[in-house]
Amino acid sequence: MHILPRLDLARPSRRHWLGYLLLAPAVILIAFLIVYPLFISLEISFQNVGIVRLDLPHKPFTLSNYTRLFASPDFWNAAWVTLKLVVIVTAACFVIGLGTALLVNQRFRGRSVARVLIALPWAVPEVIAVVIFSWMFDSSFGLVNWLAIQFHLSSGMIAWLSSPAGAFFVICVVMIWKGYPFVSIMALAGLQAIPDDYYNAARVDGASAWQRLLNITLPSLMPVLGVSLVLSMLWVFRDFSIIYTMTGGGPLHATQTLSLMTYEQAFSFFKMGYASAIGIVTLIICIIASRLMMGRAPDNL
Amino acid sequence: MRRIRTSIFLYCGVVLVCALLLFPIYWLFVTALSPPDALQVLPPRLWPAHPRWGVFRDVLAAHPILLWLGNSALAAIGAVALSMSVSVFAGYSLSRFQVRGGQSLGLFILIAKMLPATLLVIPLFSIFRSLHLIGNLWSIVLAHSTLIIPFTTWMLKGYFDTVPRELEQAAMVDGCSPLGALFRVILPVSTPGLAATALYGFVLSWSDYAYARTFLTNAQGSWTANLGITTMKGEYIINWSDISAASLLVALPILLIYLFLERYLVGGLTAGAEK
Repeated sequence: MHILPRLDLARPSRRHWLGYLLLAPAVILIAFLIVYPLFISLEISFQNVGIVRLDLPHKPFTLSNYTRLFASPDFWNAAWVTLKLVVIVTAACFVIGLGTALLVNQRFRGRSVARVLIALPWAVPEVIAVVIFSWMFDSSFGLVNWLAIQFHLSSGMIAWLSSPAGAFFVICVVMIWKGYPFVSIMALAGLQAIPDDYYNAARVDGASAWQRLLNITLPSLMPVLGVSLVLSMLWVFRDFSIIYTMTGGGPLHATQTLSLMTYEQAFSFFKMGYASAIGIVTLIICIIASRLMMGRAPDNL
Repeated sequence: MRRIRTSIFLYCGVVLVCALLLFPIYWLFVTALSPPDALQVLPPRLWPAHPRWGVFRDVLAAHPILLWLGNSALAAIGAVALSMSVSVFAGYSLSRFQVRGGQSLGLFILIAKMLPATLLVIPLFSIFRSLHLIGNLWSIVLAHSTLIIPFTTWMLKGYFDTVPRELEQAAMVDGCSPLGALFRVILPVSTPGLAATALYGFVLSWSDYAYARTFLTNAQGSWTANLGITTMKGEYIINWSDISAASLLVALPILLIYLFLERYLVGGLTAGAEK
């Protein structure tokens, strides 16, 4: 009667070949598009290759990409720039994201509109965000320079994107603006999951608003904040579009992160083996960092 | 009295914070509407004296923006269709069956999230080159699927988990095959989840720059919107007004999708990070 053996979907422990069959297309596609390319990356990071060609025989195995990498001041510079960027951007995203989430979590009329608006920058493509801020920080007619002069913060026009510190600052601003909505959305979801009873009980016991924030809100948010922290850091770590289209890693490598360096080595200097080595090291750092951070709350992984 | 005062404070706070954070988007709008020579004057004006509403028509005529938007849409639709057609089955399988290795999929998705695009783009470039796909929108469809599949699979699994198993049981008692139950019962009731997931994938594809920059730079006819925008910045003279108008046109679809998607965003954003 049935081609299939009887299948009882009500039992979650059911093992059935149909389960594997349904999974197969996704697994095959992922294998071809993610696992196989990753394998090639790993392979060529141990070869001295320029432009990779799959139809040519393999080059001999060598560790030279990695030894060159760790001896290169450019690599350590990029690692330092990446670290600075990750710490500054993530911290600022957290302050703004949490602040905005607490703000629109209050009860007031029109808060559903405010909730949509507050995270709107999430929907602006990164390349467009770069257009906006490049113009706002324009050296001759940009709004920011004009404001800085009006408020006597600077005496003349600042060429933001041509000075190393200025360019780094502008990159931070763009990334914070693009990154805080994520924290805000996550924190708001976390806030809504806290039962009102907690607050009512605290009020009965006479806890002040500040005490409620410190003793109920923040501890209940911790798991959500932990996940957002890791995901935001990963985003800053790997982001390419914002920096590439805004400064291209310059001036003087002041904004060259590991991601940028990987891309530049691969597609400007055509040293794909060397570039892959940088990428592999970046990936390993990402995995270790998020393992360390998630490790403290193993339930979240 | 005290309550009124706090609520006034609250409103002022909300308006002020929103105004500050959304000002860059407003400024993009103002810049688009200002004639180029009005942008070369200080002090900057908060609203142009003579807003130039025709700018959108002009910029569409001066640059192949419709072509770029069309390419972006084609690539996004292709990538979403490919990703969804494998993710629906994978998500369903992970939700309903106990598949060996299924548990580690969450971990795999997390690792896929950690993959720097700049690392994956190198082998993909050589693979696509040997398949003669460089300069072809198909390369973007495939590359964007690497971004989308991990998300959509995870989002759909989560969505199917909320659909009661009794539905399929009832359908199978009535004589449906397991696949028939999926197509006739589960998918129809999951429409909102499917739509949100597909739109999330669309946003991921639409926002990409790295893959388009690498695979399409030499094929002007295949440029996507984000890639096209970056080429409008001249070396010495930048017409900020035109770029801003074009940027608004490119950002508009995503802004509209966001308004619909906002409720479902959390599921997509956390894909792979939660149990």
